[in-house]
Amino acid sequence: MAESDNLAQIIIGCKDGDAESFSQIVDMYSRRCYGYFYRLTGNSDVSDDLLSELFVKLVSKISSYKGGSFESWLFKIASNIFHDYLRAKQRWGKLLEAQKKQLESKITQARQSDSERIDKLQIELGKLNADTRELIMLRFYSQLSFKEIAKMRSEPIGSILSKVHRGLKKLRELMER
Amino acid sequence: MIGRNDEELKELFGKFLNSQEADRAVEDVLKGEQILSEHPAPEPADELIAGIKAEIAEAVHGRRENVLRKVVYKALAVAAAVIILAAISTQLFEEDNGTPERTYVASLIPWSVWEGDDITADDADLATLVAEVEEIEQDLAVLQLGEDAGNGRNAVAELETELIEIESNFWKE
Repeated sequence: MAESDNLAQIIIGCKDGDAESFSQIVDMYSRRCYGYFYRLTGNSDVSDDLLSELFVKLVSKISSYKGGSFESWLFKIASNIFHDYLRAKQRWGKLLEAQKKQLESKITQARQSDSERIDKLQIELGKLNADTRELIMLRFYSQLSFKEIAKMRSEPIGSILSKVHRGLKKLRELMER
Repeated sequence: MIGRNDEELKELFGKFLNSQEADRAVEDVLKGEQILSEHPAPEPADELIAGIKAEIAEAVHGRRENVLRKVVYKALAVAAAVIILAAISTQLFEEDNGTPERTYVASLIPWSVWEGDDITADDADLATLVAEVEEIEQDLAVLQLGEDAGNGRNAVAELETELIEIESNFWKE
């Protein structure tokens, strides 16, 4: 309760244009949002860019936050940013489908030049359906309830439950191999 | 809105699956999420966070400047509108108080004739003229009917002279 009161105060500060309040939001959510972007893109450079875009966008969008779950609102913006990124990537390619496949593979495969260590989880996540993977990441990093996710994505809760369940079950099987 | 921690997964899955299936589904979800917890994603670099904060500070500053600029522009727009309105009002006010254009009209007919409703009553000269004209008309009528016993031709000429004299006197006034 005290935590939510504190968050409410910080949001008021953000709406008043207090840079320090925005910094507090960055401290509170940057790890989770970065994790969300990283697990979806598999690329730290892209994740850096998307995280920056998210928080800068927050400055212009904070006035549109009218209460309710802040996480839900924040991750909705994060999800839109990720989809914009996907669309932009797709536009760059001459063949849409070819680019999509390339993007899918980029998510899971480490580039020779990429010095970062791609863990097993990242590789196995790439084997999941894109929508399911996104749902699982949204659920894990936003810490939203299934009901909140269903509302946010305007999807029936049964569909969300089914996708997440099947996705996590498959991930578990892949990880235990 | 029910938060994640308060969410009863068993109850939620129970709406779509039988009890045993719901139990298994909950177990799959919890174990799957445990795997995610055991494999944390990399964290953002401190430099990145510092850069984001600096970018935010700049954006906030820019936003404030924009707000201030909007206020100034609004004030300028209002001031300009007031000045324009004042200028228009002054112009209209001056036109309202200005001396109306005077029309100069020259007339051969005496002014008093135009002023009154009863011409003969208002203008004594005209009344005299009318009376004299009527008298001459009567004299002419008598002459034309041959009722005048004397030298009729001279009498007519006399009357005409008299009429011309009266008329010229009238318009001299």
